[in-house]
Amino acid sequence: MKIVVCIKQVPETNDVTIDPVTHNLDRRGLAGVMNPFDKNAIELALDLKDSRDDVQVALLTMGPDDYAESLREGMAMGADEGYLLSDRAFAGADTLATGYVIAQALKKIGDADLILFGRQAVDADTGQVGPIVAEFLQQPQITYAASLRLSGDNEVTAERLLEDTKQTLVAQLPAVVSVRSELNTPRYPTPRNIQLSFDKPLTTWHHDDLDLDDTRLGQAGSPTIVTKVYAPEPVKRELTKLDGTPAEAASQLITALKGRQLI
Amino acid sequence: MPSTTAAAEKLLLQMVDDYTEREISPEDMPMDAAGDFPAGFIQKLTDTGFLGMMLPQEFGGAGFGPEVTAAALNHIARGNASTAVTLEGHFKTIDQILKFGTPALQQQLLPSANDRIFAFSMTEASGGSNPMGIGSTATREGDHWVLNGDKIMITNGGLAQVYCVLVKTAPHELSVFVVDQDMPGFSFGKREDFIGLRGTPVGEIVMDHIIVDNDHLLGKVGDGGRIGDSAHDDARILMGAVLTGIMEHELKIATDYAKERKAGDQPLTALQVTHRKVADIAMRKETTKLLFEKAAQLKAAGQPYSEEAAMAKAHGSRAAVAAGDDTLQILAGYGYSREYPVEHLIRDARAMEIAEGTVEKMRSAIATAEFNK
Repeated sequence: MKIVVCIKQVPETNDVTIDPVTHNLDRRGLAGVMNPFDKNAIELALDLKDSRDDVQVALLTMGPDDYAESLREGMAMGADEGYLLSDRAFAGADTLATGYVIAQALKKIGDADLILFGRQAVDADTGQVGPIVAEFLQQPQITYAASLRLSGDNEVTAERLLEDTKQTLVAQLPAVVSVRSELNTPRYPTPRNIQLSFDKPLTTWHHDDLDLDDTRLGQAGSPTIVTKVYAPEPVKRELTKLDGTPAEAASQLITALKGRQLI
Repeated sequence: MPSTTAAAEKLLLQMVDDYTEREISPEDMPMDAAGDFPAGFIQKLTDTGFLGMMLPQEFGGAGFGPEVTAAALNHIARGNASTAVTLEGHFKTIDQILKFGTPALQQQLLPSANDRIFAFSMTEASGGSNPMGIGSTATREGDHWVLNGDKIMITNGGLAQVYCVLVKTAPHELSVFVVDQDMPGFSFGKREDFIGLRGTPVGEIVMDHIIVDNDHLLGKVGDGGRIGDSAHDDARILMGAVLTGIMEHELKIATDYAKERKAGDQPLTALQVTHRKVADIAMRKETTKLLFEKAAQLKAAGQPYSEEAAMAKAHGSRAAVAAGDDTLQILAGYGYSREYPVEHLIRDARAMEIAEGTVEKMRSAIATAEFNK
């Protein structure tokens, strides 16, 4: 069984700026770290690997050459190999153009039974790439899984915790699943596994290594237009302090709520 | 692209920082109050592979070199000095088995150093910095040795399972043997109630007719003094790293507080008296960092590093106590309170003016090295 975990490198700092021309996040010159939520997806894959003898775990990311650091970190956690999709033609991609390249790379990898994503990236917070990849691959998808297990020979069962209900979904493999951070606690890479990770295969695919439609790549292939990015004004709320004993305060509260016809 | 070594070292320190922030720092104050590591703390450190950080890969370790190993202890000590000192005691002992143990002894013992803590014991009730005053003995009987005596104030004593012990094999002859806690005749004695580094156990072992084979001798008969000196040198580099970590912690406390606290209408950061103290703390931290890094670089390059290691520890220990005192003064009443970590950082640093050779002995060693140039 082959599991591919798609990961992203994000700025190490929260102090990111906005590109004044594109209105996108300006990541230039910022040190990167693996998106913390992606570690939950890796941990899930490694848990499955620990529980069976036949599981291979690959990591896949798209970005500049230094994104290899996050692949190495994931391999130091225990993944078997890494794929880096890196080309100037991929730069400036929105979630759709990113999902397209990742889907094409997954087609080239070919034999992935389970494709995992973290719930979202902490820099742009969209959570869209996983579902987009599932659509490109025409595979079933489960988002925000709070638990996941292999059930039967060719299916997964996942629980989704929603606001007022719990869903249990079963998907035929191959499938795409994004996972919640509450799912598990990611393991630390051990010092020895950090060293050994540099002996594991890391494959870099450039533009010409993949079967790509150039009109779908990079900024030109991205339909998203960011017109403005701003911090919303904080909402000022009215505050009333209720004095007296608890019984008096409760009485005042009931009077106030009745006065506003809220009860 | 960085070299594989540089990339691995960066990843190691990133992991160490992450682990320190989440697993070690939160235990710093409780550990000082309890006077011990919390339950499961050392097991988790072991399970995460910290014990094998500098152990060569052929023995199942990670094989990181002296510079990044020192840097890792430096980063850990920013969160808690006891954890870093326990690893220092383990690493310096592994270093001596690597330098002086036979290949057979290394193969027998070192794979277990990934899971078991090792310790080096020199001090006895009759003296610490005067090894010829020790009373423990090893007597040859046929093709084996019989060890007797009490060793005290051992870093990780009681926690470690394997001990290198400095004993007399003749009235004026010192040798080092390796003993295991499972050997008949081995027992633990009293644990010290020290005022600093309170997580790290420091205790006593008793050897009552322990029989060891000749291959448990490190180096040759009579090499004890040389091996002891080597253990001190390796420990002193790492202590310089730990002391730098303590000072980084102190500097952060001092600057964070000065930025928040006002004296009258002025923030503390506007006062020259604060500037002087913060600058002194920063200079002490930085000079110690340069000293331990230089000693580690020399060690990695296979060059002599004894004098530089002594400087790192002698300068760093006094500097960290003084930096702690300045930090305490900036925080004033809060600095003197046990609710804040400053007072225990001073107690932690104070231990290293004594352990691994007193600062007085360091100065003698440094001066002697200078006279001999």
